[in-house]
Amino acid sequence: MSALAYALVAFVLATAIATALFRDVLSTIVVFGAYSLGMAILYTYLLAPDVAMTEAAIGAGVTTVLLLLTIARTTRPSPDQLFERLDVPAVVAVGAFLLVAGTQVLPEMWAVGDPTAPVWSNAEVSQYYIQNTYADTHAQNAVTAVLAAYRGFDTFGEAVVVFAAGVAVLLVLKREVFV
Amino acid sequence: MADDVADTYTESQVIMTAVKVIAPFTLTYGMFMTLHGADTPGGGFQGGAIVGVTILMLAFAFGIEPTRRWLRNSVLVSLVTGGVVVFTGVGLATIALGGNFLEYDRFSEIGIAGKWGMEAIEVGGVSLIVSGVVITLFFAMAAGFTAERGPTATDADRGGDD
Repeated sequence: MSALAYALVAFVLATAIATALFRDVLSTIVVFGAYSLGMAILYTYLLAPDVAMTEAAIGAGVTTVLLLLTIARTTRPSPDQLFERLDVPAVVAVGAFLLVAGTQVLPEMWAVGDPTAPVWSNAEVSQYYIQNTYADTHAQNAVTAVLAAYRGFDTFGEAVVVFAAGVAVLLVLKREVFV
Repeated sequence: MADDVADTYTESQVIMTAVKVIAPFTLTYGMFMTLHGADTPGGGFQGGAIVGVTILMLAFAFGIEPTRRWLRNSVLVSLVTGGVVVFTGVGLATIALGGNFLEYDRFSEIGIAGKWGMEAIEVGGVSLIVSGVVITLFFAMAAGFTAERGPTATDADRGGDD
């Protein structure tokens, strides 16, 4: 990994911890938006531009705006301190989890971009899509082809779920029209 | 927020100018991502989200209420339900042509390349649903900021807090 990637990972970790620790809700939302933006750049670095675009538009954009709108309707108590008090048992539990994950799980994982990693090299799934997508669907972007053609029925279900979620929000907010 | 809730909007020359400059580019980028999603990174979901975010930016810069009057209720309703109808219609059309649900290759029997079926559900289905729901959620969440619906119980509670 390059220095840029290490800097990005450090930025994402720092903003994630800050999101958990800031006591003021407005600060939390702003830092969470920065976290999403860092994740979007990290996804681009990991050659997943489709995921990065979703993260940048939905995670950093829409979620931040909706959260800001929500807290704008509440009262904002003047923060008595900058950070939340640390819950020692929770910190010990999370620390132990991170220790096991970092020392035992992480070394066993395949390197990023390793051509022999099973997720890339297996002939039945990944390589099938990479080799046959254009012939099957005439789409050069295999991600879109998987979403819209090979897994079109799943995407249909997701689209209807998004539609149903929009209707459900209006029902919960007791509004009969869309605006 | 110590201020009255109705005064959340602040007319800012900086934000308005910035949005005026940026909005055409984000709208074009969102449209490109939607229409060109089959061949470049992106697709209906991402493109629709960016088109929706463009409307959110306009609402933030020029006031939520004028944007709501500009984008009428019927427009958003037809966007979202139209997306579901297009998606379902394409799926059922392939069944009508003797194939499975969303089996695009069946369109070649009536002289349409199968790729256009996929483009139709990306452009006319997913992106319309996503952009419509994003704008809808935003307006639904922002609805309490105006006195349009008259004082409600929550407004009275908030007034007591201030």
